Amino acid sequence: MTAARRERAWAIGILAGLGGLAFLPLVARRDDVLNFVFLILLSITLAQSWNIVAGYAGQVNLGHAAFFGLGALLARSLWIGGTPIVLAMLAGAALATSFALVIGAPAFRLRGAYFAIGTLALGEILRTTVGNVLPEISTLPTATIAGYRLAHRYYLALALAAVSVVTVAALAGSRAGLGMQAIREDEPAAEASGVGALRLKLTALALSTGLAGLAGGLFGYYHISYYPSHAFSPTWTFDALLMTFIGGVGTLHGPVLGAILYIVLKEYLAVRWVDFHLLIFGALFIAIVLLLPGGLVQAATRGRRLFARGEV
Amino acid sequence: MLELRDVDAAYGDIRVLSGVTLAVGTGEIVALLGPNGSGKTTLLTSIAGLLRPRGGTIRWEGEDLATVPAHLVVERGLALVPEGRRLFGGMTVEDNLELGAFAPRARRHRAEGFARVYALFPDLRERRRQLVRSLSGGQQQMVAVGRALMTNPRLLMLDEPSLGIAPRLVVSIFAALAEINRAGVGVFLVEQNVQAALTLAHRAYLLESGRIAGQGRAADLLHDPHVRRAYLGPLAVRT
Amino acid sequence: MNVLAQQLVLGLLIGGLYGLAAAGLSLVFGVMKVLDVAHGELIMLGGYGAFWLVALFGLDPFAALVLVIPLALVGGGLLYSGLFSFVVRADEETRVKNSLLIGFGLALALHALAVQLWTADERSIVTPYGGAVIMVGELAIPLVRLLSLLLAFLLIGGLHLLLARWRWGKAIRATAEDWQAALLTGIDVRRAYLLAFAIGTALAGAAGTLVSVGYSVSPSIGLEWTLKALIVVVLAGLGSMIGTFVGGLVLGVAEAASAAVFGGPYREVVGLVIFVVVLVVRPRGLFGK
Ligand SMILES: Nc1ncnc2c1ncn2[C@@H]1O[C@H](COP(=O)(O)OP(=O)(O)OP(=O)(O)O)[C@@H](O)[C@H]1O
Ligand SMILES: [Mg+2]
Repeated sequence: MTAARRERAWAIGILAGLGGLAFLPLVARRDDVLNFVFLILLSITLAQSWNIVAGYAGQVNLGHAAFFGLGALLARSLWIGGTPIVLAMLAGAALATSFALVIGAPAFRLRGAYFAIGTLALGEILRTTVGNVLPEISTLPTATIAGYRLAHRYYLALALAAVSVVTVAALAGSRAGLGMQAIREDEPAAEASGVGALRLKLTALALSTGLAGLAGGLFGYYHISYYPSHAFSPTWTFDALLMTFIGGVGTLHGPVLGAILYIVLKEYLAVRWVDFHLLIFGALFIAIVLLLPGGLVQAATRGRRLFARGEV
Repeated sequence: MLELRDVDAAYGDIRVLSGVTLAVGTGEIVALLGPNGSGKTTLLTSIAGLLRPRGGTIRWEGEDLATVPAHLVVERGLALVPEGRRLFGGMTVEDNLELGAFAPRARRHRAEGFARVYALFPDLRERRRQLVRSLSGGQQQMVAVGRALMTNPRLLMLDEPSLGIAPRLVVSIFAALAEINRAGVGVFLVEQNVQAALTLAHRAYLLESGRIAGQGRAADLLHDPHVRRAYLGPLAVRT
Repeated sequence: MNVLAQQLVLGLLIGGLYGLAAAGLSLVFGVMKVLDVAHGELIMLGGYGAFWLVALFGLDPFAALVLVIPLALVGGGLLYSGLFSFVVRADEETRVKNSLLIGFGLALALHALAVQLWTADERSIVTPYGGAVIMVGELAIPLVRLLSLLLAFLLIGGLHLLLARWRWGKAIRATAEDWQAALLTGIDVRRAYLLAFAIGTALAGAAGTLVSVGYSVSPSIGLEWTLKALIVVVLAGLGSMIGTFVGGLVLGVAEAASAAVFGGPYREVVGLVIFVVVLVVRPRGLFGK
């Protein structure tokens, strides 16, 4: 099977799986199951959004949380003010993307590690500022809490995960997507062969932050109460990064597998080893990076090759 | 004695050297000539241990270098003056030379090393406290040769030492090479300046597209019509 | 006016620690091209290590440095051998990415470990002379913080001499400039990496000790200190430890000045904004090449 066909097969498989999950609220009567799957779906979107700019265009953005946070901030306040949630989320995404386009050109003057730490600082600027301006916890009005339906959040999350997968699938096969991968491999060479690097990197950033903004909006819609600066916390970036790398960066299915494994593992460890779960989790993560530098996806490929050669 | 047998080398999927076989005898001066991109630098970095060949063997004084790490290749008496010099620009001339004598064997001969380098290149003694990046290209090349000499080599490999250097200084560097060789050190020289290289060398190999395309005594090659046409350019043919 | 001057003095005092924190990171980044985002966690561990030594053996915290530094040196060596030695096998681009990953994993694990061992509370080392203040005119200078600044300066000066004079110090600098050329001169580059990482960790341990005396530590200070160190590294560029120290002082003073102008809560923001602006204007750092 060629790589492109395999990717398409994965896309269809993942979308079919998401389609199957549409029936879950009908079967599962327990909220904790829905909450758990919701978390996975939100993570898939977040990881996939980070994957666009890091995996395809090769730019390690450590300020991703800023865009998630902007989406959450605007969408939640518009929604609480009476705007329909989908519109509010789109507005949040628009804000995230606009911000990305404003900072994009100067940020992309930075290369490699410098881009990474520059964006990390940017994210921290927003987090601290939001923490200073909005120090109060944000809680939904009582009337809204009374009408809270988990299933609504769940379906939105499902739709968003599907959108993120379709976006990446469409991107991966497109001219723009190929150009981004050329930039990732060797930017000067890509430029020399006529790829407009800055424009493509901005496109990747716009798509990536738009999705992150949507995911943030969903987060703002889901939670009853949280500190506004929490949505800007660098943990969102690190989670996205960890999930993407555990799964396999720069592939369609890597972030999906990574998000599932990450959430399942984290929740399992949290229940099994209440006190030590983060410690074990960190150690496990390091082990994965060391032993499987290309993530699960690469491990699978390696396994398949060995199998094909009859060495297993 | 350096011996390469059927050496293959590649960067990723790009094959650069195919079945290269050659030898440099003790105390010999051998030149390696070839057009741009033919794989000369790749060959030298493979010998120095910076790049692992895909196939074939590289032997130095009978020992297979396949598993010898680069910093120990130096210790065994094989030194490379790399393409573009690759000096430590933020350090002084003296520090650069001193780093050449980093390995234990070289360190024992540190004082002689300094004496030898300063005798060959008196300019450097005066400038020993200067930062290397403030020197001219030719002076930097002297530091590069000096740094390699400080490792106390038995074979000195040089990758295009005349590149981007004023002709007057090229002459003094080549004179230094001849003198180094008189002390019994072998020289393996990659050069674009074919005239100068063939005048200095005893023997030469021609490398084309990663294969050995010819070899012979330097004096013969200097008068070989093919070599003159391909390597010395149209002007050389007319004269 | 006096309030402002007092603020600036305090900024200068903590700036020395910023410089010390950054020196370790700068060394590791400059030599290995590895971005260790767990550097702040190493500082945090150093702080708790000192705290322990003081509590268990009743040592003076400044004297505890004599133990903390060698312990951190060994710890750093182990950390390099166990984790980061795998990272430096890749080419530079991949190195940065992999080191980020390992750094995050490590930060997560160390943070969790610290919470387990020491709870999430803030702690600081109490000394009999902790409250002592030196008055210079109307300025009050806390004695322990002044001592910390002096020690930070001495440590940086020592590091500078080490890199300038010691054989392996020169080898480390050579490796930072061009590791392949370093190999060609017979330097065992992996050992240079090991040394650089161990020394970087020792500096983090020392910084942590000083932080726990004059200020306070808690398991979650890691990211904050990593960021401070990164800011200073970018301001000062790579290569000069004295420059890094000065960069730390500049950051401390700039933060204090901006806190005075914009109000305390914006202290961090202003530092970060300066950082981003410098980064964008001079993508390789103010003094970088
Ligand atoms: N690091 C690398 N990665 C990929 N390809 C490389 C690399 N270095 C060299 N090459 C390719 O290998 C071939 C041989 O290069 P090499 O530098 O060995 O040639 P050369 O004979 O030294 O050329 P020159 O005279 O220009 O110095 C060239 O086609 C070059 O493009
Ligand atoms: Mg070459």
